[in-house]
Parts: sequence; structure tokens; C-alpha cells
Amino acid sequence: MFLKKLLRYGSVFYKSKQCSVKHNFVRSIQISTERYEENKKDTKALVHKDSFENIENKNKNTYLEMVKIFINRDHVYRRGHVEFIYSALKNMEEFGVHKDLEVYKSLIDVLPKGKFVPTNIIQAEFMHYPKQQQCIIDLLEQMEDNGVMPDIEMEPLLLNIFGNRGFPVRRYWRMMYWMPKFKNLSPWPVPDPLPKDTFDLAKYAIERISSVDVNSVVTVYQSEDIPESIDKTWIVSAQSKSQRMLLGQHKLKDPIYVEGPFTIWIKGNPINYFILRGEPKPVIEEDKDPDDVSNLKVSLFSLKPPVAKHVKVIPSVHEQEDGVIFSVCATGTSSKDSLLSWIRHLEKDGFPNLGQVPVVFMLKSSTKEIINLDMDNTKEKIEKETGKIDDK
Amino acid sequence: MFILNRNVGSFICRNCSKRAFHTSPILTTFWERDDKGGYRDESKLPQLKDRLREGLKELKHEVGLWSEELKERFENDPILTYRPGEVDVQWQFGTEDSLKKWLVTSDSDNNEGFSKSSLTLTKEGKGLFSGNLDMRIPKDGRVKRAGYCNMKTLRVRKSFKREAHIDWTAYNMLVMRVRGDGRSYLLNIHAKGYYDLTWNDMYHYVLFTRGGPYWQVARIPFSKFYFGSKGRIQDRQVSVPLDRVASFGITAGERYGGDFHLEIDYIGVEFDPNHREEFAYEMYRTAKGIASV
Repeated sequence: MFLKKLLRYGSVFYKSKQCSVKHNFVRSIQISTERYEENKKDTKALVHKDSFENIENKNKNTYLEMVKIFINRDHVYRRGHVEFIYSALKNMEEFGVHKDLEVYKSLIDVLPKGKFVPTNIIQAEFMHYPKQQQCIIDLLEQMEDNGVMPDIEMEPLLLNIFGNRGFPVRRYWRMMYWMPKFKNLSPWPVPDPLPKDTFDLAKYAIERISSVDVNSVVTVYQSEDIPESIDKTWIVSAQSKSQRMLLGQHKLKDPIYVEGPFTIWIKGNPINYFILRGEPKPVIEEDKDPDDVSNLKVSLFSLKPPVAKHVKVIPSVHEQEDGVIFSVCATGTSSKDSLLSWIRHLEKDGFPNLGQVPVVFMLKSSTKEIINLDMDNTKEKIEKETGKIDDK
Repeated sequence: MFILNRNVGSFICRNCSKRAFHTSPILTTFWERDDKGGYRDESKLPQLKDRLREGLKELKHEVGLWSEELKERFENDPILTYRPGEVDVQWQFGTEDSLKKWLVTSDSDNNEGFSKSSLTLTKEGKGLFSGNLDMRIPKDGRVKRAGYCNMKTLRVRKSFKREAHIDWTAYNMLVMRVRGDGRSYLLNIHAKGYYDLTWNDMYHYVLFTRGGPYWQVARIPFSKFYFGSKGRIQDRQVSVPLDRVASFGITAGERYGGDFHLEIDYIGVEFDPNHREEFAYEMYRTAKGIASV
């Protein structure tokens, strides 16, 4: 009984002799005093839970400073690399460095060189230091997800850390093989990083839509130029030569429609656009057998050669099945008033008869604003008003 | 005594094999248990009586199919020339029946995300694959990433529900008439084989859509498709085995959340004699045991 009590409280007695009993609930039996000393100075925490969150000024410099602090903390026995890298990876986006190659390289550089290189065949085959290797594989995957291509400097770095049979090195080789192949695959490339301004994005969007016709011309109108306009904003409009011809041929009594907003995505940014559409042209399908010789006309008395009536003009790309598209536009406010200014601008721009054509506004759910992208990627609220608005 | 010992032994072994906690994902064997990768529908089958009735109902149709197959075999009239520039339409939308050939899934079906999708017909009678991609990750500690919607054709079958393959060896182009929303989509050719090693063989390529009111005809050579398995590009690349096509699919898996909208008129194949490329990706010799590990 006494022995039990002594075992349970002995250490407390021992400690209380040295200093005030503060930490006696941590462990009831202390084998040595060393452990107790360790608890007192809690600077070598293995997991850096809040170190990145607590920084007020979050930018690339403070991020790199954190990495430097970690490296300089202990020269001889640096510990907790994996935990540090994982917590650093988690906080990348807040610091705005998730697309920065230099930062990724500095994170890999945290690991010691030579220590994790396998020295025999068994180690090489069975993933020597698996947690460390997996950590760097996850880092490379995060790079891939953010579209960051590694460079040639990363190879010796990884080779020095994991040796030439390390799995992160293989992943690096794979990335260097595939990423350049896929990088410029898109037929509609946009600059990287993408401009934050909605006007530039709208311009890219309209250029992309009108790339269907090489003769398309993208014009930027200002609604201020129309005296009776309410919304003062920009209008990006596209029209090609054949579209101008089609609009010129349009009959005055037939209505034309302003439809929208539809969405086009420019690398994750939704842009609203509107179309100016006429009724679809009727498709006349002549089901005639060209090899049929039963009804041949013999031109005995007329010297003129017969005019082939079945030769038709090939419809342009703008004559779609669901309508003839006269023009496409995106405006700064996507409001009805700005669209009205667009029509007025087209009227001034070579179609004086457009004022006599009934223009029907078919706005599905007109949004007040194209999505604004702030620096923090916070999307502003989009006011929505639903309903179909018809207007002369 | 002997019997007792054996019982005790088996008891111990049973307890040993079931370790309660694993600190890392376990890999017991290389063997694949399930061709659905654990996503099999576990709901109870109807009663045997009902199943028999259902099966007999289908018998008539299956015998019809089988006799057609036999007739075709005896007629033995294969297509000998594939005229260049002619698109052989494989899947066209327009009727409600055309939608029944497709299977639409998204991550929310397996409680692994919140994306939603559907395949419907538009006013003009085209197929519309639309929905919402949601990047949110369910907080179950298991799912690391989310946000995909997928449509794929049902497995090609012969009569009596025997699994079959489409033979596209005479063609070298995939032709699609689509109208997208500016997003890019992933095209998947599933070349499922007999052995478990080949169950997840998939060939991918990207479909870039222009966006806007205009239809586009995307012509993608089969030589551009790259080989992947379970979503990972494989090291040893091969071109699509066009005689082993089990199904075709389109995935909306862009890493940007939001609505997506893809109208499809038809999906076809074409023979283009001017396209000579067999495989677009060059291969390099690596040291032993480096690649495909």
C-alpha cells in the first residue's frame, strides 16, 4: 500500500521540493527530471499548428521568412520537416504563393541532403523514409493542381535529397514529361496569370466566341456616347463582315431578339454575354437524285447553257439552326439599359434602319453585374432579378 | 486436446488478421476484388420469383438479337471501304431513347461530394449535359478532393447480355458536334479487358469548347489519346486499342466550381487518310524498375 502511494505521489513530492507544483498532472510518474525540464520550455513543438495562421501580414516575403526561421532554428538536429511542409502547403493560398515555383523549391530545400538517400537495394526498393517521400509527392501534386511547372533546378535538388530512385524524383520526371505537353494545348489561350479586370476578361470572352469567324472585329463602345443612356459602362461587341451583311439584309418587319445572359467560362471566371439573334432561315432540302436522267432538258433552240438552279450559297457559320446570330456582346453591368445602348451603337455604326426593326429583349435572368474578382477571390453578391422583359 | 488446440488456434488467427487500427492505408493484395472498385450497388435484389419473371420477359428480345447476330454472321457482308470524310455517327441525341444509352454520375451519388448533373434533351432536340460542379469536400476525413460529373455509355453487349466491344480499328478520328460553355471536358475511352489488371484501362483526351452560341465540330485523332488508369497517367504509354472499346464517356472535372453546360448533337468516328500519326507521345528508355512502379 505504501509502495503504491509512493509510486503514485513520489515524483510529485520530489518535484515540489524543486519548484512549485504546476505540472504534476502531466504525468504521475516521472522517471527522470529531464523530461520535466523539457516540458517547461515548450519551444520544440513537433507540429507547427498556428505558426502560419498567426502571421498578420501574409505575403511571399513573410512566407519565405517563416521557412528561413525553420531552417535556422536548429543546425544539428533539424526535426519535424514533414509536419512543417504539410502545414506550409496548407497555408499557401492565403499567402498568395500557391502559383510560385520559387516557394515550392524553398520548401523542398528544407529537407536534409543525403540523409534520405538509400544505401542498399532493399532500401531503394521499399521506399526509404516513406513519410518524407510521400510529403514531397504531395507537394508536387499540389504544384500540378495549381498549374506550376517545375524547372530544371528542381531535379538536382530532389536527387540530392532522395537519390535517383526516389519516388518524388520519378514524379518530377513524369511532370516534366507531361506538363509541357499539356500546357499549351488549348486552342484559345489566355495569359497566365489572368488579368483581374472584368473588362479584360469580357474582351477575351468575346474574342473567343467570335473566333468562329476570322473576319470578326471586336469593338468597344462606351454607353456614355449615347445621350439617353442611364448606365455608364463599356460594351464589348463583335461583328464580322458576313454578320453585317446578314443584318443589312434583315427585313424591317421581322423582329430581332436580344437574348441572354449566357455564361462563358474563361479559366474559371464566368462571363455573361448576350446575342443579337434573328429568326432561323428556313432550310430547303431538295431531295433530288443527281444521277436521274429521266427528265433531261435538251437545249436545241436556246444557245445559252442551262443555269444550274440547284447551286446554292453556302450558309455562313452565323446561320445556326436556332437562329441567325447578328452580333455578340458583353457589357459592364449586363443591364437592360446597357443593352439598349448597344443597339443604339449598332444603329449608329452602319445600320440606320435598326431603329425601325422591333427589338425584343428576352433576358432570362438579368444579372446586375458580371462577377467581380477581388484580390482575395471573394465573389461579390450578384443581384438577380428574374423575369422576361419585353420591349420595343 | 487436438480439437481444442485447433479451435484456439483459429480463434487467435481470426483476431490477428483483423487489426483494428491502421496508421496508413493497407494494401493486402494486388488483386482487384471488384470491377466497380467498391462502388457496386449493394441494394437487395428482388425475389427470385420476380427475377425469373423479368428474365423471361427479356428472353424474347434477346433471342431476337441472337438470331440477328446469326444472320449477320452467315450473310458475312463486312464494310470493305471506309470512305474518307464520312462520319459514322455512333451516338446521336434527339429522342428520349437516345438518352437511355447513357449513364450520368457525379460525386454526390457516392456521398463523396456535392456536384449534381443531368443529361436531358434541349428544345431543339439535342443532348444537354449540364449541372453544377462543387469543389467542396465532405468533412468525413476520407475524401481528399471532390468535384466531378460524368456521363458514359452503357457497356456494349451482345445478345443474352454478353459483354462485347466496339471495333473502331477502321477509323482514326473522333468527331463530335458540340456547343459548350468555354470549359474543357475530358473524353474517356474505356478499353476494359478480361483480367483485373486491365479493368481500369482508360484513354483520355481533352475536349476544349469554344463557348458562345456557335456549334463546333471537334475532330480529335485517336492517336492523341493517352493511357491512364484510375485517373493517373501511366508511364508505359500505348495507343488506344480500337478493337477493345467498351464504353465512351465525357467528364466535367475542371478544377473551377460552378455551373457547366455542354450541348451534344452527335458523337461519331471518321477515317482520315491524311492523318498518319499512330501515337502522339514519344517514349524513352529508362533504367530498370524506374518506370511503371
